[in-house]
Amino acid sequence: MSEADSTMSDKKASLAAVSTFADHEVILPPNKLKKAVRKVHDTDVEFDPVAKAEAALAELSEDFSAWMGEECDRLDAARHAMRAGGINQGTRDTLFLAAHDIKGQASTFGFPLVAPVADSLCRLIEHTPDMSRLPLALIDQHVDAVRAIVTRNTRGDSDANAARLAQKLRTVTDEFLAYENRDRPDHLEAILSPAIAPG
Amino acid sequence: MVRIDFNRLRFLIIDDNAHMRRILRTLLHGFGTREVYEAEDGAAGLEGFTHYSPDIVITDWAMPIFDGLELTQMIRQPGANTNPYVPIIMLTGHSEKKRVISARDAGVTEFLAKPISAKGLYQRVLNVVANPRPFIRTKSYFGPDRRRNANPNYAGPERRKGGKADVIKQQPLLDKAKTTA
Repeated sequence: MSEADSTMSDKKASLAAVSTFADHEVILPPNKLKKAVRKVHDTDVEFDPVAKAEAALAELSEDFSAWMGEECDRLDAARHAMRAGGINQGTRDTLFLAAHDIKGQASTFGFPLVAPVADSLCRLIEHTPDMSRLPLALIDQHVDAVRAIVTRNTRGDSDANAARLAQKLRTVTDEFLAYENRDRPDHLEAILSPAIAPG
Repeated sequence: MVRIDFNRLRFLIIDDNAHMRRILRTLLHGFGTREVYEAEDGAAGLEGFTHYSPDIVITDWAMPIFDGLELTQMIRQPGANTNPYVPIIMLTGHSEKKRVISARDAGVTEFLAKPISAKGLYQRVLNVVANPRPFIRTKSYFGPDRRRNANPNYAGPERRKGGKADVIKQQPLLDKAKTTA
């Protein structure tokens, strides 16, 4: 292929194909990632990327207990900041982000029963319409529960006490949210519906 | 069977949590990726996107000031950057239906709920690389086709209007800007 042909072919590859309809366009962008697709035989198992990544994560897991402790400290500090400085957008957001990170990471760190407690705290913070009515005592109970499960090194998901504690906090939180959102039936229905996110 | 050569892909991770960035980097290196860049908030992420031209963006949703949803909306503005089509994988602890729909409507390519797993992340990357979806532009939306599958049982009205039109080869905006400058 001559240089001119090659340049022309490169140019073609960088063009998006656009189909125009009455109220929308369908665009086929140039597929720049095609370079990374490789066809292999079903029997070709010389390299399993998922197993390799899991092994790499397992090596990293030595640090997870310490990381979980750091996340707990962050949550604790956010709770104390809210108590000391009052409930405002800043203290609310800081507490929410700390709880939200724990919700997403606790299972990876080996503390799956911490995740539902953190989830319940996130729901409490996010769905209380008037933040000045956030119940500090219930927030404390959530933070203390997270701390207790981690301090007792309750790993795995088989500890009945931790599971009961998580369930109880969720029930009390949902009752509180149902009352606070009693004039917002659509919102209430949305927050009480099950999660659909793919994992 | 299709396999991905991860060493030919460049990733940008945007997450305010250093632990999560480390986990993602570890998984991606485990898959075989060499080029992984990081940013710790949406603003730095946007700068990193322009600077590194990643093949795939993995972003958290909940970040202070400028979150993952706003970042996605910025990237998906046609003409605002060199690659509004970049695949965006949103990795988040948010899992409610309303949230998933908001992410989809902002132009997110794939949604991955935490806790993260190697398998879940691999499948999302495989999907965006091996099965790229067309983009749709309407008055109110620009992003990957939100209809992943044709549902034979769908009984509602067809909301997209208009017959088939000609396929037009469109010059990328960047090239257009270069030639008209």
